[in-house]
Amino acid sequence: MNQAMLVAKNLGRRKLRTFLMLVAIFIAFFLYGALECFNRAFHSSENAASAERLVTVNRINFTMPLPVNYAGRVQQVPGVRAVTYQSWFGGYYKDQREPLFMMAVDPATYLAVYPSVQMPAEQRRAWLANRTGLAVGKTTAAKYGWKVGDRIPISSNVYMKKDGGRAWEFDVSAVFSDPDDSAREGLVLMGHDYFDETVTFGRDQVNMIVFSTSSTKQNDAIAKAVDALFANSEAETTTDTAAAFNRAFAAQFGNIALIITLVVATAFAAILMIVGNTMVMSVRERTREIGVLKTLGFRSSTILGQILAESLLLAVVGAVLGLGAADGVILVAGKFLQGFGSNLQMTAAVFLGGVGWAVLLGLVTGAVPAWSGMRLQIATALGRR
Amino acid sequence: MGRILRQIAAIASMNIRSIPQRLWMSLSTVVAIALVVAVLLAFLAMGNGFRQAQSSAGAADIAIMLRDGAQTEINSAVTREQADIVEEAPGIARQNGRPLVSAELYVIVDGVSRSSHLRANLPLRGLPLAGVALRHNVRIAEGRLFQTGTNEIVVGRSVTREFEGFDLGKTLRLGQSVWTIVGVFEDGGTVRESELWGDVGVVQSVFKRSNFFQTIRVRLASASALPALKAYVDGDPRLKLAVESEAEYFSEQARQSSDLIQKLGWPLAIIMAIGALAGALNTMYSSVASRGTEIATLRAIGFGRIPTFVGTLAEALTLAVIGGVVGILAATLLFQGYSASTLSSNFTQVVFTFKVTPALCGSALVLALIVGVIGGIFPAFRAARQPIVGMLGEQ
Repeated sequence: MNQAMLVAKNLGRRKLRTFLMLVAIFIAFFLYGALECFNRAFHSSENAASAERLVTVNRINFTMPLPVNYAGRVQQVPGVRAVTYQSWFGGYYKDQREPLFMMAVDPATYLAVYPSVQMPAEQRRAWLANRTGLAVGKTTAAKYGWKVGDRIPISSNVYMKKDGGRAWEFDVSAVFSDPDDSAREGLVLMGHDYFDETVTFGRDQVNMIVFSTSSTKQNDAIAKAVDALFANSEAETTTDTAAAFNRAFAAQFGNIALIITLVVATAFAAILMIVGNTMVMSVRERTREIGVLKTLGFRSSTILGQILAESLLLAVVGAVLGLGAADGVILVAGKFLQGFGSNLQMTAAVFLGGVGWAVLLGLVTGAVPAWSGMRLQIATALGRR
Repeated sequence: MGRILRQIAAIASMNIRSIPQRLWMSLSTVVAIALVVAVLLAFLAMGNGFRQAQSSAGAADIAIMLRDGAQTEINSAVTREQADIVEEAPGIARQNGRPLVSAELYVIVDGVSRSSHLRANLPLRGLPLAGVALRHNVRIAEGRLFQTGTNEIVVGRSVTREFEGFDLGKTLRLGQSVWTIVGVFEDGGTVRESELWGDVGVVQSVFKRSNFFQTIRVRLASASALPALKAYVDGDPRLKLAVESEAEYFSEQARQSSDLIQKLGWPLAIIMAIGALAGALNTMYSSVASRGTEIATLRAIGFGRIPTFVGTLAEALTLAVIGGVVGILAATLLFQGYSASTLSSNFTQVVFTFKVTPALCGSALVLALIVGVIGGIFPAFRAARQPIVGMLGEQ
């Protein structure tokens, strides 16, 4: 009978109790896994945004317009590599309550600033050539079942057409993916020329200018130079890294990270109480046995190791099952939450982080009973009932 | 029957009084249930506070007109001509002979959050003095109202609380224009307090939106005048406006957004409750096990199965109620009145405070009781079905 068997026997002696402890641990790690993955997906654009990309918006607020000619002036600033501009279109397809993440962009420069946006060469050519062409991210294309060659009507809840109509006709020219930032795969991109020639207001104005630089080290200096260029003009600007811009935008929804941390901490506190106390009780019940083992010559350190192994095994098995279940659930949830795309997935960091917490949980819940088991005097142990 | 009740009372009180003997296991169940209840209540109070900030802002005797299909103020557009036509409509209250009509411009400006130190969207509303007058509950708490034709603004109480630099007397730079904050207004903590107000003409010229508005608000002669106004607007082909009462408008805004928060709270709490249930079952099974001899003795001296069953269930329910009450107290102490803000469907920040209500505490307590009942019922079966002879002989 080896050590591992003793550990297994101890866990198996009260199967219901072991099962209930596993359920509690499972739940806590399921919550940790699912919420942590959600949190990372929610903040993914802050990390995915290439560090060398900068965003220039109107100083008053990013919903305020900038003249389109600012893009050309930004291009002149030393250290700026590629410049593009975009405007929020406020588009929706049939159902107004389901807005599209739709921007009017300048296709050629857009692709230069976002080199990770990928589409087949012939689709790329088609999108660049067709004024009414649309490039659709693959998540959104899949959601609405749009295919290259489809002609679709899209309405805007912000803009009106000059001819009085509400629906713009588009040709789906391209379906794109973005391996660096899969949240981008939820976007719909129309041409800014088509936008300018059809809207009743907002012509030759853009919401934001995005550009890449030749070296991230110069970013601060370049941002200052861009803002200085437009200081005291009709539309003053503020320039920041894309990561910082996205972080500020995400923060507008509230401190999601704090809420998730609190919920996960609460769940962990609960299982710490439950599992910790159950382990203490379970070892107390075995007092006489531990006495017998010691009488047989088992060392105190072996007893300590066995009890710790028991709590560790329990915590790690429960955690791995919980993280596995979280993986399954978020995979399904990702299909329904537009805008998250394939960002919502179990990452190695979340999984390993969970296993790390499980080891800590196992050590903490096993510490008190293991210590008292180790310190137990044989005479006391055999006398205690 | 009376005998059974007396037996139940005896066993239940014995079990409950012996809880301190199983202090740590019992405590872990109480704490686990309290944590679940506190999390649920925090989410419910957040959703409720957010909904109330919006729904309590709407008055039944104020009508709001948006571009047909716009749904939110930020997406709406109204021309000067349309605003002029509306002034002639029936059912509008008058002050000094003038109809209480307010054509308003709504633009978004940056504020810096006191908590995150990041920039956030705040609404700057340009409105005429009549627009301030038609909102009956608004009162100036500090300073005074803005004057027509000046770069003066008044700010809502929530804005000064959650965002930096909006205190009375401060100046605010928006593009090339500098504005002075001359007053702070209050409106019972509603969404209006998340706004900045300035003179509509000045806001129009600074933001280059002359003769252009987002919404028209009118004070109705009475709430019952709404159908007549609606008929008038629908009958004029130049208007193409959707008319509804402010109460309807705000409750729709609230419904769209607070739904999400509520939908998150319950599943989270239910998942956590399953974990707490595992703890409760564990505690109760070990309680039944440790009382084995006692239960057998009671059965031997004539106590029935039903009192044994109910007695064990009573212990579990006691733990659940204690946990529930502790959770409710903790959530109330920590979160009641806690101020937070989030992005509304108007794409601007809505500041709101968490609101714990007796009804929400009631639903949280129900969750605790469900954990108590399920956590008690199976161990109670075991207690009731224990063989007397076996348990007494085992020692």
